[in-house]
Amino acid sequence: MITLENITKTYHLGDMEVPILRGIDLQIEASEYVSIMGASGSGKSTLMNIMGCLDQPTAGRYCLNDRELTTLTKDELAYIRNQQIGFVFQQFNLLPRATALENVMLPMVYGGIPKAERQIRAEAALTHVGLRDRMANRPSQLSGGQQQRVAIARALVNQPAILLADEPTGALDTHTSQEVMNLFHELNEQAITVIVITHETEVAAQTKRRIRIQDGQIVDASR
Amino acid sequence: MALEALWSNKLRSSLTMLGVIIGIGSVISLTSIGQGIQKSTEDNIRSLGTDVLQVMAGAAESGGISQGQGSVSTLTWEDAQAIAEQAPSATTVSAYLQRQAQVVYGEENTSTTVYGTDLAHPDARNTFPESGRFFTQEELTFADSVAVIAPTVQDNLFPPNVDPIGETIRIQGEIYNVIGVMEEKGSQGPQDRDDAVYIPLTSMSARIIGNNSLMGVSVNGIYIKGENEDQLETIKFQVENILRLRHGIATPSDDDFQITNQADILETLTTILGLLTTMIVAIAGISLIVGGIGIANIMLVSVVERTREIGIRKALGATERDILSQFLTESIVISVIGGSIGIGTGVGITLIAATVFGFPFIVSTSAVVVGFVLSTSVGLVAGVIPARNAAKLDPIVALRSD
Repeated sequence: MITLENITKTYHLGDMEVPILRGIDLQIEASEYVSIMGASGSGKSTLMNIMGCLDQPTAGRYCLNDRELTTLTKDELAYIRNQQIGFVFQQFNLLPRATALENVMLPMVYGGIPKAERQIRAEAALTHVGLRDRMANRPSQLSGGQQQRVAIARALVNQPAILLADEPTGALDTHTSQEVMNLFHELNEQAITVIVITHETEVAAQTKRRIRIQDGQIVDASR
Repeated sequence: MALEALWSNKLRSSLTMLGVIIGIGSVISLTSIGQGIQKSTEDNIRSLGTDVLQVMAGAAESGGISQGQGSVSTLTWEDAQAIAEQAPSATTVSAYLQRQAQVVYGEENTSTTVYGTDLAHPDARNTFPESGRFFTQEELTFADSVAVIAPTVQDNLFPPNVDPIGETIRIQGEIYNVIGVMEEKGSQGPQDRDDAVYIPLTSMSARIIGNNSLMGVSVNGIYIKGENEDQLETIKFQVENILRLRHGIATPSDDDFQITNQADILETLTTILGLLTTMIVAIAGISLIVGGIGIANIMLVSVVERTREIGIRKALGATERDILSQFLTESIVISVIGGSIGIGTGVGITLIAATVFGFPFIVSTSAVVVGFVLSTSVGLVAGVIPARNAAKLDPIVALRSD
């Protein structure tokens, strides 16, 4: 499903070239439950951003569902983000002035789904993550765990094939972290590919495949 | 969605709108008020009659210091009569004497301008009795003690329930019978034409001024009217010749009289008022610019502030076009609503000012159009340019910003 071939990413800081990813080769199949682990600065977030089409590799090939992505236009990438990928961020990244329901409806706005259906699907998604009676609340009126669940509902509402989570438990306590991980497990049972970026071994331990990354290179990608 | 974004940040939206409102409102009201004042001043001068020439005794010089027009008594009633007879283009010729004097009725008294005039005065000045009558040839010939008062004098001297006609007033102690009240003419600049008393020129000369000379009855000025405005140049030429002949003047630089034309005055005033209006418009333009900078500033800050929001939206699948159209819609809505309120405010202020200060209510269409178009486009440009830059960012760059 996801194929990365010799992906490199280099940042330019003034005259200095800082390599972040140095030749990543990776295959992830549909319905896998994967964690990508590494110390901070290892390049794991950059890898996720490239897999999520939020960032472009400096070189290498990236195929999603046998489709070469490195040549696509910005609009085509936006469409792929909208339809195939759901994002969960460490800092939740909800729109602060919008309600939980409006936040969840947002991907469907860009997906061109009619307003009435948006409402029904967003309500269903929020109910699914257990926030049925919090739909009219703004992010500031929700706890961290609740905000992350809103973000997960938002990530799932367009029925993506892949869920990309960047340190999803990083801002949460142990108890709520476990709730989120349970939710990911449940989603994976429903055949969604879940990729979790983390530096916590307890989190990685719950995934089915652990990929370790160090200094921009994969050191262990065993299944 | 754009509307929701606007509504969710009411303070920012209303501040931006305020910039538009102040910009447009001030342009419209300042320009309109300027035009209204200009129009009312022009109308006032026009109502004096632009078909009138005024001859005044020339400025006397005393040790090189000008004593002002009419300060020498070189102009006489006989001059006026000669002009009436000899200037073929002059249809109405009226001489007058004027003096500030105390006028008393019973316990009341007022200081007003007393005019000694001949019978042609109502025609020449386009002002007629509202009630009663003007004096007759007989009363003029015999220097009778009759007076026609103007409305302000009536208000100052007589209680509302007293009909002034038939009453007796004292002008500088001399007793006069009121035979008429003039119609209301309004004030022209500093000169209030309703604050006046008219008496026969002969009576004024003999009893109020008291300087009947061998030269005849000296007067302060002569009004001359022609068929129409086009005749005025011809009349001016004729009058100059007649007066130079009568006064024995060989060269024009020795003239002991001055001829002024209301049309010339109107032209001068129009030029001055035009300059004034231009200045007002310039001030209004500055406030429009200030308003525009306000809009630009708030829009700019709002876009920078919302780069993260743009990043989130892009991560969720928004295209550059989606982002841009959202900000465009926001800018349009703010500018158009603000612009409409601004037009309303400007028109309202103009209406209030016109009512309070009594000039005609004119709304400058060009100010409305220019103000609206300018501030709307400032709002658009200021909103869209930074939004376009933000929309072009890589989603990850936008997401990382705080």
